[in-house]
Amino acid sequence: MAMIEATGLSKTFRVTKRRSGVFGGLRSIVDPEVRLVEAVQALSLQVEPGEIVGLVGPNGAGKSTTIKMLTGILVPSAGEVRVAGFNPLHQRRAMSAHIGVVFGQRTQLWWDLPLIDSLRLLRYLYRVPEERHTANLARMRALLDLDEFIDTPVRQLSLGQRMRGDLAAALLHDPQLLYLDEPTIGLDVVAKARIREFLLRINAEQGMTILITTHDMDDVEALCSRLLIIDHGRKLYDGGLSEIRDRFGGERTLIAILDPAEINALPRNATGEPCLMNLPEGVRQIRFDSPRVWLSFGKEALPAHELVAWLGARHRLKDVTFQEPEIEDVIRRIYEEDLLLQEVGVV
Amino acid sequence: MIQNVLADLSLYGRLVAMQLRAQMQYKMDLLIDVMTYFLVTALEFATLLLYFVPFPTLLGWHVGEVAMLSAVVSIGFGLAELFGGGIDNFSVVIRQGDFDRALLRPVAALLQVSTNEFRLRRLGRITQGFCAFARALFLLRGFHLIWTPLKILALCLGIVSSALIFVSILLLGATICFWTIETTELTNILTYGGREMLSYPLTIYNQVLQRTFLFIVPLAFGTYIPVCYVLGRALPFGLPDWLAFLSPLIALLFALVALVVWQFGVRRYQSTGS
Repeated sequence: MAMIEATGLSKTFRVTKRRSGVFGGLRSIVDPEVRLVEAVQALSLQVEPGEIVGLVGPNGAGKSTTIKMLTGILVPSAGEVRVAGFNPLHQRRAMSAHIGVVFGQRTQLWWDLPLIDSLRLLRYLYRVPEERHTANLARMRALLDLDEFIDTPVRQLSLGQRMRGDLAAALLHDPQLLYLDEPTIGLDVVAKARIREFLLRINAEQGMTILITTHDMDDVEALCSRLLIIDHGRKLYDGGLSEIRDRFGGERTLIAILDPAEINALPRNATGEPCLMNLPEGVRQIRFDSPRVWLSFGKEALPAHELVAWLGARHRLKDVTFQEPEIEDVIRRIYEEDLLLQEVGVV
Repeated sequence: MIQNVLADLSLYGRLVAMQLRAQMQYKMDLLIDVMTYFLVTALEFATLLLYFVPFPTLLGWHVGEVAMLSAVVSIGFGLAELFGGGIDNFSVVIRQGDFDRALLRPVAALLQVSTNEFRLRRLGRITQGFCAFARALFLLRGFHLIWTPLKILALCLGIVSSALIFVSILLLGATICFWTIETTELTNILTYGGREMLSYPLTIYNQVLQRTFLFIVPLAFGTYIPVCYVLGRALPFGLPDWLAFLSPLIALLFALVALVVWQFGVRRYQSTGS
């Protein structure tokens, strides 16, 4: 049985525009100005037990709406959902005992009290038998190294510590499925690595199924075996990570700052933009904004240091920086590819 | 069933205890808040007494009688503010998107909402209410008021009932937040307005208002009617005096209506997400 099974999931919001003025609020209730927004359209997805699936997409793509429908917070406009064998629509409270949810930007911990108080209280909120709770708490303390700050009020914790606390809080009732919404947002590199390591561990040791939404491609690379890309409420891609990286994600961008004196001497292309000539194979110039030039290159085509050396030998470089591919870039490239296919189709 | 109710009650206690412990982190703030609130509400009460300097009675009500009415309203309202703080604070919960969390846990959302805040500083008003009640008894010393167990019972039932009705009004106000968070003033008219108006004898208002507070928002059942029973005064519209003992039933009925409306609001939230 699949852990998550959704078919044709759709959500249409009626967005009411607020009226201004003294009685605007009241009038908005009685006589609203309505506009329909299709946040999620005919989305189907299946997640098997033990999988770690990444749900990615730009802001406003419908990720949160999808998560809210899968957790029973929102009722879908159309479609079927089953999560851990439950129907989130009619069995929300029963289902909630079997899922854990972490929102990266919002904590479920009690702000003014020591972390341990929140962790203890959750036993009653989830009606966890005492023995199981004690055992789980001990395991979380060890796995997440909570002891160094467990008696500190939550408001005084660093973001990374708070996230560890929130992860523990979401797992104390032994959920079968863990939803993570931007779990590494705002964390430093060390804290991110620690969270990822923990997630991989509970996945490997307990077979925890994880559905994670993120903007961080590193999260996806480190954690997800499968990737679901959505945009404008529709599924763009559902499949392995390596396939998508090979097809779309391998490109990195180098930004070089050239000597302004040299730029005038460069040849111009058809649009009057200065051009770097005879670039190595697999490298293309994508933008020029004097004195900066953007070069896109495949990881396999040329190692980064060789490209820098190549440039340094031919041009007077002031500075060089690299841009890793963002999820937005990957999605942009998928669109480009789509367009390409359409063009081919027309011909 | 009974086991669930007991579990919910003990959870309520634990959630409130969390709030209390959190507030104890700022003891000095709390102390100042309680005292300030006591002074503010005492000032309100003093204003009410000042009215009786030029006028000996208000439609036949002696200053001590009005003081007792006002004290009862104050205690009931103070209890509602204390226990209904989380419900009153609901617009903030909605605005910050924290209501989602309540829907992600296997216990009732209302239980979590009502305990997200416990306004201990409102003890200031309850304390003032008791002081005002003592003052009322002092002002009534010439009346030879006879206290019977039934009168005390009616008064206690009334106070608890009025608190429940006030909390239900707050809940109705909170429910409006599922539609818009701009109309919270509407609840304030009923809570603060109701408290202010019911501090005076019901009969000074026109019939529409009297009927409203008796039969639509039945706050008078928890305040005016029990106080009339204690003072041995006749009720308006020829209502029988044993109605004083019916206040819990009326309050529960009103609370039930508020609860149904709330559930409707939650369902709406689940279909709109805002």
